[in-house]
Amino acid sequence: MDESRPIFVQIAEQLESQIIDGSMREEAQVPSINDLAAFHRINPATALKGVSLLVDQGIIYKRRGVGMFVAEGARERLVAARREAFGDDYIRPIVARARALGISPEQLIEIIRREAAQ
Amino acid sequence: MTAVIEVTDLARTYGKVAAVSDVSFSIEENSICGLLGRNGAGKTTLMRLVTGQEFASAGEIRVFGENPVENAGVLARTCFVRESQVYPDGFRGKHVLRAAAHLFPNWDADYAARLVDEFRVPLDRRMKKMSRGQRSSVGVIIGLASRAELTLLDEPYAGLDAVARELFYDHLLRDYSENPRTIVLSTHLIDEAARLLEHVLVVDNGSLLMDAAADDLRGTAVTLVGSHNSVERFATGRPVLGWESIGGLSSVTLTGLSDADKADAVAAGLELAPVSLQQLIVSRTRGAQEA
Amino acid sequence: MTAIATPRVATARRIGTTLRIHAANPWAIVYTPWLILMGVFLLNFSIWHLVLRAAGDRGVNPDAFHYNGGVSWVLFYMVVVAVQAMNQTFSFVVGLGATRRDYFLGTAVLFVGLSLMYGVGIAAFAGLERATDGWGVSGWFFAPWTFATMPLWEVAVVYTLVMLFMFFGGSTVAAVFVRWGANGIILFFASVAVLIVASLYAITQLEAWDAVGQFFSGRDAIQLALMSLVVTVAAGFVGYALMRRATPKG
Repeated sequence: MDESRPIFVQIAEQLESQIIDGSMREEAQVPSINDLAAFHRINPATALKGVSLLVDQGIIYKRRGVGMFVAEGARERLVAARREAFGDDYIRPIVARARALGISPEQLIEIIRREAAQ
Repeated sequence: MTAVIEVTDLARTYGKVAAVSDVSFSIEENSICGLLGRNGAGKTTLMRLVTGQEFASAGEIRVFGENPVENAGVLARTCFVRESQVYPDGFRGKHVLRAAAHLFPNWDADYAARLVDEFRVPLDRRMKKMSRGQRSSVGVIIGLASRAELTLLDEPYAGLDAVARELFYDHLLRDYSENPRTIVLSTHLIDEAARLLEHVLVVDNGSLLMDAAADDLRGTAVTLVGSHNSVERFATGRPVLGWESIGGLSSVTLTGLSDADKADAVAAGLELAPVSLQQLIVSRTRGAQEA
Repeated sequence: MTAIATPRVATARRIGTTLRIHAANPWAIVYTPWLILMGVFLLNFSIWHLVLRAAGDRGVNPDAFHYNGGVSWVLFYMVVVAVQAMNQTFSFVVGLGATRRDYFLGTAVLFVGLSLMYGVGIAAFAGLERATDGWGVSGWFFAPWTFATMPLWEVAVVYTLVMLFMFFGGSTVAAVFVRWGANGIILFFASVAVLIVASLYAITQLEAWDAVGQFFSGRDAIQLALMSLVVTVAAGFVGYALMRRATPKG
């Protein structure tokens, strides 16, 4: 649990990561609110908020009386969204740090190539 | 959502001392609300006022829509547990639980028995002879097994060790999930309780300092660490919660930084450290004192 | 996941709740007083036999063992019970969420019940005392002094009324202490003293000592006890008025 962001956001992100890495497949059942709350030791209202985020985005849907399930195409949509945000979330800070250390963009690209080759 | 507790312009003065002054807030039903603040800030007084055990000097209190003072209907739906609870001489743990069973219409005796086992409470021992932790355990058991629609817990785990505290959090969450009710929890162990809380009320010197959703508070503050000059440059013109320096290194805690601001800070060579709910509240309380 | 609803509870049941809480620990209010009463009685009984042994052939006066105060200990102990009720049980029961009114009514019912139990119980022992001719040694413990010639039902009534006086009087004085502390007690007893002195002065001025003497000498125990009932009831009202503004400790 990270101190810098609301817990429900982190819950949503964890579920998203599970969908992206395949541990929760499409049409698989998502753990119930109470189970999530008990597992993460958080308030069920917070767990509900996190799940609702994903329901609103269409990543998860509710089947009345049965439970919650991963929507079709959820993985693709999540991967696409993360790809879009990748530049802002990860690259911008790296560029800034590199600049602070006096590393030129070309040197940065070379470092990235070397890393990716391993 | 309906408000279970509605407090308007509440004040309680003892002679010249104002234990509570000009406090207004409302607590929604079926939520866990944290009542936070330093010792002597007025948390216990507020809880006593809300349960009709203390008389207000000014202002209005509505619990379940009615004045709680001498109101049997309201009080039967309320359970207030605190460490400073007085027990009659000679009363043993079992007598206290028996009394609680009579007072709370929703009392669950089986649940209470299970909790007694888990918290290892010696029911045959006199309350006065119990350790602080055992007395707190009795209070916790009453608070949980009463299944009262409004449950107020005042520093419920004084004297409980870390294991017992985790046990308490787990039971509270589990029973709250299965039997939703309104829980008001006062504590100075903010970080431990933080993940339980939906709403936070911070009391300082009898007044309400903060009244916000826990999620709204989390992440509003961040600590920047770096060379003194860089930090100072970044901090000018922004509300500062705390500032520390050692040698040429400074750390400043700020609120209201956007994601772009944070990225700028990193670009400026500063390090970002998260600020926990407890640190945030401590800073604000200390700041209010120094103001 | 269903939200909780709480059933409404009738007044009679709520009063019964306070009663049951008091009774949760019967030692303080029932077992211990009876045990010690029996202890004091047995102590007196042993002393009687020792005295008889020491007196030997000379024997003792026929009314040697008739003027015994031992039974009064339990009357004064009820003051202690009442004080404890005000100091501790009040804070406990109201602290756990009962109203002051329900607590007062429940405790009042308890006082009445206890007074009756002790009154009838002591009278029963007095009956046994008489039937055994003073436990075989003409010793009057349970019905000493003038009680010895009173019919048993009167014995029961007097003890009951005196107990009630002790309970309500004691709890009211304790309520004064809870509300106003030591200063309150000093003020209270000072006021009582002033009242007494003022009455004595007034009686002397009006040369009404004869009338006063006649008033009291003409009364027997049961009439005095009934008059104390007036004070008892007054104490009850005062006690409730004080309790309504009292806050539980803790």
